[in-house]
Amino acid sequence: MKFVANVDFNGGQLRPLDQSDVDTIVKLYQKQTLAGQSTTASTEHAERMITLSVQMAATQRGLMWAIEVDGQMLGMLSLYDWQPTSLKTLMRLDVLPAITQQQQVDALSTGIDFLAKKYHLRNFSFHCLPTDDEAMISTIQQVGFIQQACLRDFRRTSQTEFSDILVFNKILESAPETQGEGESA
Amino acid sequence: MNWNLNTEHYYVRFAHEEDIQNIYALLGANDVVKNHPKNPMVVEAQAMDEARRMVMQFEAKEAAFWLVEEKATGKVIARISLQQFNWVNASAQLRIDVFSDFKTQSALSEMMYAVATLAYEDLSLHRLEWFLLLEDKCFIDIAKAFGFNHDGQLMSFLEFEGSWIDYQVFSLLKTDDVWQQAIKAQGLPQS
Repeated sequence: MKFVANVDFNGGQLRPLDQSDVDTIVKLYQKQTLAGQSTTASTEHAERMITLSVQMAATQRGLMWAIEVDGQMLGMLSLYDWQPTSLKTLMRLDVLPAITQQQQVDALSTGIDFLAKKYHLRNFSFHCLPTDDEAMISTIQQVGFIQQACLRDFRRTSQTEFSDILVFNKILESAPETQGEGESA
Repeated sequence: MNWNLNTEHYYVRFAHEEDIQNIYALLGANDVVKNHPKNPMVVEAQAMDEARRMVMQFEAKEAAFWLVEEKATGKVIARISLQQFNWVNASAQLRIDVFSDFKTQSALSEMMYAVATLAYEDLSLHRLEWFLLLEDKCFIDIAKAFGFNHDGQLMSFLEFEGSWIDYQVFSLLKTDDVWQQAIKAQGLPQS
């Protein structure tokens, strides 16, 4: 059974992760510009992530899409802490340098539209470290995310050190009633 | 480790079997729960269930709940809790249910200082956060008076009776100057 839909956007598509994505996932996680990325990212971790992406989607705890442009995977758009009863989710965007900002904006906007129509989600958020990639923050702001809070020392970075977390939100006024629009599979 | 705390005017203690009626009286009062937001309890069975959940959450290391008993009268006037323990990031959420007569800076400073001291010193937490509604001006003023920082807001955090609820987030860090001063003064500001 397929739990993650293919969704077309202008110039590319969001699609489920598969085994051929392992090398790209390792590259994405070795970038070290976002929380959780590290030089220690390995093939084994990437394979586990692909398995997890199916488990998360099957139980509506999260979802992971590969962002594909011209047949190449250039990033990932992910959902964590998906709370169907509260119609909200936490998002994450990991991209390689080859993808343009406009393509990221299109992918993110299309993903949000799909999630709103298919699952009635209305509250989308990003948690960013203040040191996160500025381009990523600029991208989510272009999609309409607004910084609502700076949670002081919210994330522990070592035994004795903590980092603030910037909270960005995009709230849709009402969940659209139509379902599945834009879904190609 | 002693979880039962003692302040000048209050016993800040864990609940026992005889507290069902105290929990029911407290959480059945609309003025106590309206700003959480929550509906007041309407039958005592809800208090029994709540007491059970308090124990289960404590045993699972997810939360700790204290009832605040006024020494002079023996009356339970509040429940204070640390919830959503995050042991990785060393944080917890503070929550206070208190009768409106005792919703004062002076009363809260005693119970809050006792619980915050346990949180920072015994549990090695680093961040206490307090989610408040914008219209709960009394608690917001008290949070500011205690030195809590307004971190911002969490939008549409939950739905209650057909409305989406935004929470204002306040935080107090173990390393904050105001907390270090409170330790030296052995108390939070009372007025």
